[in-house]
Amino acid sequence: MIWVTWRQHRAQALTMLGVLAIIAVYALAVGLWMRSSFNSDDLGPCVARSGGADCAATINSFFQQFNRGPVMPLVILFFLLPGFLGAVAGAPVLGTELERGTWQLAWSQTVPRGRWLAVKLGLIITALVVFAALLSAIMTWAWGPLDEVSIRLTPPPFNLEGIWLPCALLCGFGLALLAGLLLRNTIGAMVAGYFATEIPFLITTLAVGPNVFSTTKTVDCTGALCRTASTNTVPPVSGHLGDLVNGVTHAGNHLVVSYTPASAFWPMQFLTGGIFLTFAAAAIVSAVWLLHRRTT
Amino acid sequence: MTQDTASVPALRAERLGKRYGPVWGLRDCTFAVPPGGIVGLVGPNGAGKTTLLALTVGLLAPTEGHVAVFGQRSRAQTPLAMARVSYLAQDHPLYRGFTVADMFHFGRSLNPSWDQALAEARMAALGIPLTRKVKTLSGGQQAQVALTMALAKRAPVLLLDEPVASLDPIARLDFMRDVVAASAESGLTVLIASHVIAELERLCDWLLVLNGGRLQLAGAVDDLLAGHAVLTVPRQLADADLPGRVIERTDSDRHSTVLVAAAPELVLVAADRAGWVAQPVGFEQLALAYLRRPPGQAASLAEPLGSVGSAGRAVAS
Repeated sequence: MIWVTWRQHRAQALTMLGVLAIIAVYALAVGLWMRSSFNSDDLGPCVARSGGADCAATINSFFQQFNRGPVMPLVILFFLLPGFLGAVAGAPVLGTELERGTWQLAWSQTVPRGRWLAVKLGLIITALVVFAALLSAIMTWAWGPLDEVSIRLTPPPFNLEGIWLPCALLCGFGLALLAGLLLRNTIGAMVAGYFATEIPFLITTLAVGPNVFSTTKTVDCTGALCRTASTNTVPPVSGHLGDLVNGVTHAGNHLVVSYTPASAFWPMQFLTGGIFLTFAAAAIVSAVWLLHRRTT
Repeated sequence: MTQDTASVPALRAERLGKRYGPVWGLRDCTFAVPPGGIVGLVGPNGAGKTTLLALTVGLLAPTEGHVAVFGQRSRAQTPLAMARVSYLAQDHPLYRGFTVADMFHFGRSLNPSWDQALAEARMAALGIPLTRKVKTLSGGQQAQVALTMALAKRAPVLLLDEPVASLDPIARLDFMRDVVAASAESGLTVLIASHVIAELERLCDWLLVLNGGRLQLAGAVDDLLAGHAVLTVPRQLADADLPGRVIERTDSDRHSTVLVAAAPELVLVAADRAGWVAQPVGFEQLALAYLRRPPGQAASLAEPLGSVGSAGRAVAS
């Protein structure tokens, strides 16, 4: 079964390796460039020394230089990857077998279709998770300098780091797998799977924003900061680089700051990933159940 | 297999039925086929032939009843049941991007009983290189690769669904000759489904006639031919005055041609006494007569034939 899975899905596996290689090279280039810039402008030492308070202008220009521009292709790519690669990996597993009639060949050998599917899903899901985890690791490294001076709670880099990509990719895979079983057509299942992935994307984007973990605190301030402080002030008035400030209310010699702390990154990651995985599990369980029930 | 295969039917269906939504694709199908030889499964398109095969392989689950291959129920989807039956589906599906060698590797990976030597020997005999991709092969060659896959699985029962429908006349003959040879060599029980009755004539030892999802006739071909006769009788003669059961009656101006199911000695005595002309029935004529009967009519199931001599060949069901 392992050989069969490899032989039937090696084209997709090689496509993924190609994508991984291209992104890795690009990310390596951008990451090295960012690092040299980060260190040469005395940005790194300044951030380490003052938490960004002494070099707000440098942080701003560094952020402007890199957060758009060179990393933009990667950011766009990462929005498309889970749906696209999930569809490419998921749709053929059942869709092509049903479309070409080869299911009659595959499920009339000596391996029951339950085991056939279990081995295939096990291998493909493992490969996808390893692929996505590697990609996330590469991106986390490349994004390192930006992470030190910017907010990780919104995409990018929220969707480049942590467990977002593995979970989203599995979600795309599961939905395309189920679409293949229902539509009995590879291309149709790819398209349907891709667009179905937009539903959990919308849910996670709308329902699990940083505002879910928003909190308030009162900050004492003096002088100009009291008057000019805003949500865009660098470093954030909440006190830490990486905090996302949602609102600032001026009240005499103190500020009421509504913000999402940088530490909300992992709770947000798990919540988002959990939603993706719920969709993935529901789709895969449905596919397994339907496969046992109706196979005509 | 540990069972005494001589006493267990190769194929046995018991009130087997499959419903697709509100429509029964197959219903109340009961028969038993002894091991060895070639079974013809005849019926028009949509008669339920593919449904019966898919149920036998375990690709479909029955709505009611069951079907067993050498005593092992097909529904189970267990390796033990699956190892007993090879299936060549209609249009002989293969992975088009695979080479022939890949197809065999696939077979070897999924079947513990896989016979690689047999597979390679057949390809060598047919002159099909193992390195060729399936999609570059002709239809006849693809059918041969698919048949080889089914044979190399080394299952005691081989099911072929319209195996030659897409082949040219030469390839048809070659294919059927190979099936017969394989059956003879290894004692395979081969079930061939076809809507072309002439194709199965002189080929099969056992006949199943299916129409409208109902089994119309089941029995050993020799018994069926011996147990039927075509009588030419005066037109005014009532069915009740004829020996046995009337299967089909064609009236002309003065005479009627009647196909009856009756023991041969009964037919001989009756024909002798009344001066009717009695003729043996042909394979195609017999199958067609049963196919023309309305599907609602009770199946014959060779009941009158138990008494017709070679009862030993018929497996009690």
